Amino acid sequence: MTAIDTGARKKPLLPTGVLAGTLRQILLPVAAALVVLVAWETAVRVLDVSPVLLPPPSMIVARLQELFFPLLLKHAIPTIWESVIAFAVSSVLGIALAGLLSSSKILREALYPNVVLFQLIPKIALAPLFIVWLGIGSQSRLAFSVFISFFPVVIATLAGLDNVDRDLLRLCRALRASEWQTFREVRLPHAIPYVFSGMKIATTFAIIGVIVGEFITSQAGLGYLILFASAQAETALILAAILVLCAFGLVFYGLVAIAETVTRNRFGA
Amino acid sequence: MDAAISAAASGPAPATDAPPYMSVQRVQKIYETAGGAVEAVSLADFSVTSGEFVAVLGPSGCGKSTLMMMIGGLETTSAGHIRVDGTEVTAPRGDFGYVFQDATLLPWKSVLDNVLFPIRLEHGRTRDHLDRARELLELVGLWDFRDKRPRQLSGGMRQRVAICRGLINDPKLLLMDEPFSALDAISRDDMNAALADLWDRYHKTAIFITHSIREAVYLADRVLVMSRRPSVISHDVRIPFPRPRRMEMQETAEFNEICGFLRRKIEEGYQRA
Repeated sequence: MTAIDTGARKKPLLPTGVLAGTLRQILLPVAAALVVLVAWETAVRVLDVSPVLLPPPSMIVARLQELFFPLLLKHAIPTIWESVIAFAVSSVLGIALAGLLSSSKILREALYPNVVLFQLIPKIALAPLFIVWLGIGSQSRLAFSVFISFFPVVIATLAGLDNVDRDLLRLCRALRASEWQTFREVRLPHAIPYVFSGMKIATTFAIIGVIVGEFITSQAGLGYLILFASAQAETALILAAILVLCAFGLVFYGLVAIAETVTRNRFGA
Repeated sequence: MDAAISAAASGPAPATDAPPYMSVQRVQKIYETAGGAVEAVSLADFSVTSGEFVAVLGPSGCGKSTLMMMIGGLETTSAGHIRVDGTEVTAPRGDFGYVFQDATLLPWKSVLDNVLFPIRLEHGRTRDHLDRARELLELVGLWDFRDKRPRQLSGGMRQRVAICRGLINDPKLLLMDEPFSALDAISRDDMNAALADLWDRYHKTAIFITHSIREAVYLADRVLVMSRRPSVISHDVRIPFPRPRRMEMQETAEFNEICGFLRRKIEEGYQRA
């Protein structure tokens, strides 16, 4: 058998080419997930596992269909709102703080080590403090969510602002650009991909912040619903709520990724 | 032949009463490092007349780039004075144009916007300079690429854009620090021809740093040979070829004699060190 024969034989199994490559990148993980789901469904049925312990995927989907409009959506809305607001606030705050730190050497020397130190604290442990400070309303959840989601934005943005090619900075000096011009024309556009990588992490962190806040105190929201359902031993509902949360997380991340593409096309970074 | 060339070449620029356009007077650069003081430029002393194209030729590490940075106001001098057009250079100036070793284009801007970048920084209306940008880009054959991003261009094209950017504000003095050293030999020949063309057209005063002997002889009116340890200008050689210069000139015996002469002078510098 020649090498060409082998290649021709392989072709139908693993298609090559650009389009086929993209297709494969989508199909393979989906197929892998499906295999796990089918195994899960089969195992739960064959071994007769109690649905309180682990409901089969079909049951979770049934719960989702049944309760999406009457219950899940109602609880999803406050969670989504608070996550989006917290994300927006932490993005603006994070970029602003990074800009401040990169522009002032003294501020940077004073604050940056502290920012890094804060990054290392298991911030979730501080959640109850926010309730003590700001009460049981949404402001404490928002504040906590901002608190945990803005660090990745600060650190990534700062890295982007500082990582500028020294030759470009020398060019700015040669062309007598002011600090502000250098920031606006060179540092900021250069930092755009970094800013977005920080913001993508922030989407996840913002959701985590809101959910943790809801676990501690709330009368609505998916975190509240999860806690409520677990008290009722409604495992399928818990997983259905988590499914909604995942879907939201994906869409949220996707929107930020689209915003990134648009911005980068505009600035071409 | 050596003697004839050096006789014609050495010695200061023709004596006139008018002060030279640019003068580098006993300039020295010493870096203080943890391991002690390092002499980057031991002594540089020369002057340049207006419209002259001067190449500074030397091995790597001889301090020629540092010298250019000092002339451009991007580095301070440790001793001595640099005067251009009657005033001492203390910082980068608006009547200077700069071209660096790497093209250093802004990757998120188009070719045209990169060329217009100095104007944008000067708060000038880029519209008013569009014609000049077009003229420059057409001269280097890149007007059709004006909307492309730097990453879509070859290394040689990027460096041509950088030269256009250096010329956009109509500088009186163009400073070029090994602009073609990162290019392959063939693009380098192209670039030399392109630069020679630009020269015939604009006739700026130029300082051109290079470690290529042929490049220096092809482009310059005068070649300053810089040696290493001590970092001084060891020879000042006038290049007698008329302009416009053609690539074929590089095949003449005279061209190669001058190149050979310069090579020997550079080697002597090595042996001394």
